[in-house]
Amino acid sequence: MHEMSLALEVCAIAERHVPRDQLANIIEVGLEVGDAAGVEADSLEFWLETLLTSPPFKAARPVIARVTGDVLRVSYLEVDDGRPDD
Amino acid sequence: MAVRTIEVRERVMARNDELAAGVRRRLAQHRVPTFNLVSSPGSGKTTLLERTLQDLGQELRIAVVTGDVQTQNDADRLAARTEHLVQAVVTGGACHLDARQVQTALDVVDLAATDLLFIENVGNLVCPASWDLGETAKIVLFAVTEGEDKPAKYPKMFQQSRYAVFTKIDLLPYVPFDIARAEAIARGVHGALTFFRTSARSSEGLEDWYAFLRNQVRDARAR
Repeated sequence: MHEMSLALEVCAIAERHVPRDQLANIIEVGLEVGDAAGVEADSLEFWLETLLTSPPFKAARPVIARVTGDVLRVSYLEVDDGRPDD
Repeated sequence: MAVRTIEVRERVMARNDELAAGVRRRLAQHRVPTFNLVSSPGSGKTTLLERTLQDLGQELRIAVVTGDVQTQNDADRLAARTEHLVQAVVTGGACHLDARQVQTALDVVDLAATDLLFIENVGNLVCPASWDLGETAKIVLFAVTEGEDKPAKYPKMFQQSRYAVFTKIDLLPYVPFDIARAEAIARGVHGALTFFRTSARSSEGLEDWYAFLRNQVRDARAR
């Protein structure tokens, strides 16, 4: 349940950084999870996989980098604008 | 296709910590020492608070915010012991209180007429450790009916707590609990922990607990 709450916070952070009509275009959410963060990374990943494929998201994939320390942060978002490359 | 990367570098707890900082400022303005009681379920948080309200309630204006996954049974039990406010937060499934819930609960607490505030967190030794609620300190309760190695199993909670209160010490003759060993294990994960040994039933150790609370209120007023 703890990881579910954290996953919801991750989604809230994504929603603050990307306009609402583009949330479905997010394809990757990069996170750093420290070994002393008190977080079960597998469980967090499971919740993120569920939440990030449900509206307002569509097909985003969590990518978790396991690091040392108590860090727990969203490092980047990858958005596919759907436009062909120039 | 055009894929762009947005650098975020935002801590997952950033929003909670911001709100907690706001709660902390508000409590400091009103000089209300605030203790976030954490423990496993059944360690005696509500019972210790019942006794504290009963014995100190005439002398100090104590308000309580209680968090439970379901029911407001704890709040009802405590409300029977005080004229001051007991505000229940039903988390509806969440395993901890967060700073937003405390912020909202405080909207109905008259902090100008409060000397001391307790937040009774959801009984859980894992999740509440990660959420700053704006409290003065976390206090972890540790019943002598639990295993002595609880601090080793749940180190984050003991590291995040400044004080540890042993409860139910009247049961020591009947349980195989070595309190000195439990303290040593707790000190192993957090060397600066201060301990209390209490029984809400026999009253043993409660005077030290009350003296501590009185000092906290006095120090807060002197600031």
